[in-house]
Amino acid sequence: MTTPMTDAHPGLQVRGLHAGYPGRPVVQDVELTVPAGHVAAIVGPNGCGKSTLLRAIARLHRPTAGAVLADGADIWKLTQRQVAHRVALLPQSPRAPEAVTVAGLVRYGRHPHQGLLRQWSREDERAVRDALAATGTTELAGERLDRLSGGQRQRCWLAMVLAQHTPVVLLDEPTSALDLGHVVDVLELVREVAASGRTVIMVLHDLASAARYADTLIAMKDGRVVAQGPPKEIVDEALVKELYDLEADILRAPGDACPVVVPRAHG
Amino acid sequence: MTPPTPPASPTPHVPHRGDTEEQGGGAVAAGRPATAAGTAGPPSAAGAPAAVSTKRTSAPEDVPAPKDVSVPEDAPVLEGAPVFEDAPASANSLVPEDSLVLRGGTFSWLFPRRSALVAALLAPLLMLLVALAVMASSTGMSPRDTLSGLLGTGDPGTVMIVRDFRLPRVFVGIMVGAALGIAGCLTQTLAGNRLATPDLIGVNEGATAAVVATAAGSSTGMIGDWWLGPLGAVAAAVLVVLCAGGAGSAGYRVLVVGIGVSTFIGAVGDLIMSRENDNTAGGVFLWAVGSLNGRDWHVGTPLLIVLLLLLPLALAVGHRLQLLRFDDDTAACLGVDLRRLRAAALALAVALAGVAVGVGGPIAFVALAAPIIAGRLSGPTRVPVLGSALTGAALITAADALGRVVAPVELPVGVVTSVLGGPFLLWVLFRTDSTTGKA
Repeated sequence: MTTPMTDAHPGLQVRGLHAGYPGRPVVQDVELTVPAGHVAAIVGPNGCGKSTLLRAIARLHRPTAGAVLADGADIWKLTQRQVAHRVALLPQSPRAPEAVTVAGLVRYGRHPHQGLLRQWSREDERAVRDALAATGTTELAGERLDRLSGGQRQRCWLAMVLAQHTPVVLLDEPTSALDLGHVVDVLELVREVAASGRTVIMVLHDLASAARYADTLIAMKDGRVVAQGPPKEIVDEALVKELYDLEADILRAPGDACPVVVPRAHG
Repeated sequence: MTPPTPPASPTPHVPHRGDTEEQGGGAVAAGRPATAAGTAGPPSAAGAPAAVSTKRTSAPEDVPAPKDVSVPEDAPVLEGAPVFEDAPASANSLVPEDSLVLRGGTFSWLFPRRSALVAALLAPLLMLLVALAVMASSTGMSPRDTLSGLLGTGDPGTVMIVRDFRLPRVFVGIMVGAALGIAGCLTQTLAGNRLATPDLIGVNEGATAAVVATAAGSSTGMIGDWWLGPLGAVAAAVLVVLCAGGAGSAGYRVLVVGIGVSTFIGAVGDLIMSRENDNTAGGVFLWAVGSLNGRDWHVGTPLLIVLLLLLPLALAVGHRLQLLRFDDDTAACLGVDLRRLRAAALALAVALAGVAVGVGGPIAFVALAAPIIAGRLSGPTRVPVLGSALTGAALITAADALGRVVAPVELPVGVVTSVLGGPFLLWVLFRTDSTTGKA
């Protein structure tokens, strides 16, 4: 029930993207289209370039070639502030200002919408209230962020990202430090965010939760996308072998036939 | 809490918050209508995500766009005077705790209530200190004589001492302190470290080297024009920034490079000084500990102009510097152009510290202490630019006055601040911050 995006938007496109460091290409020739309302999960082994790809989409890493179109516009032709109206990012381990309260943190999400003559509009207030409600953190609004548990804190960060009210939301390993209950919590929330009309792209290290919660799985290896599509269609023994060099069985979840990866024990 | 509005209600004008928070009468009632407008009237309590998620598929189509709703919402406000909404003290308030919301039409401002209170307390304190500083005398002039000198009714000698020497000196001290306070506030916020002062980017050594060089170069051993100090300070800081290749990704590299470069510039100054006679060295020494002795409107006027030009810029930059308290990625994705912001903050800090040090000499600890004190007073949410200026001004005024009365021989202000600053630094380093739990 996060604030719905008011008009349809084209989501996010990545066109022939190459990125990396001098002499060391990290991301090569990536093509992506993630429409509005979809959740895409980027998976792959450590060092496969998935974080660099996400950073390039967030305008934090300048690609060597190609383009990223957010909401139809090339993000490298926009200013930082204009991009912040279209793309929001939750980094993997963000650092909050000292002693900030939950409400204070979520208010920062409104920063791209504020200015000298518009410091705290009704729209800001509404967006913050909705973001708190959507993430179930309204009760925590007056608490200090650093005194909350990891699961609560992650929901507060998500609230900040939602308050930014962007058509595209990027999440870098949003569940990496959470226990199973909170992982499910956060990923359910991600589905709700997408249902409100936003495009969500997240990096996940866990193939199982990616398969369960993403509409589109983007499997990367050595900087290239090796498979892309709905999890039910692309997750198989061969993909797991290619990504992780791992012998595994693929089971189907009893409820929805979602693929479940079970690594085989050696020997 | 009021009961939740039914989903997709065509009449969203139901006050969303507890009635106890409604203050300010009809204007507020008009100005704070249904926040539920854009959200299909969800319960604002946190406890209902399950109910919420079942609604979500139908909600977007039924809901009027927030922009459409905002027109009738704002219309009543446009007709009247700006609406003053007091931030309620309740924990559920979403307005920044330390601010007051002022809204009129499509404009909205946050009046920094707590910072304003701090400024309102510091300003009279500063005036009191100015009064005491004008009275403070190393020659034993009585307060009555001082007053007669100030009013012009005393004998010409007294009038001249008070009006032409003490008063300008006090005002130059205020401006030097304000500039150092702001510069310290900017560099500390830039580096995210309370020990990061403008001293670290070479302004002290640059100013001292320039003054030493001119004194050595002149046949009389006199210190040259006032602007040589600021020029040396700014030149050294520019050299440091060039060596570091910009502010650095975390604003940190420039400080590390600054320590190295300023040590070298300091050594050059010492080398020149070691070849001079005692007379020159004595005069330069007095300058190099930081002294306001003999400063008048000759240096005060340019200092005032620089301060008036840079203070508004520093306030604007300070507002954005809040975002540097996040990590770089988060700050960038909140729409901050970090390179430009850091460059602007650094340039302002260099200019302000350069002018201050160039005029008053390298007065220790003010740039360190003023922002820390101001930050304690005005709370953690804002970057205390104005508070640092007032605190810095108060510190220098008090230290300079103290230096004139406490000892038989006048103590330079830099010596007083060093003596008082040592224990302060230890306090900063050892205390556990009660608000953050961090050392």
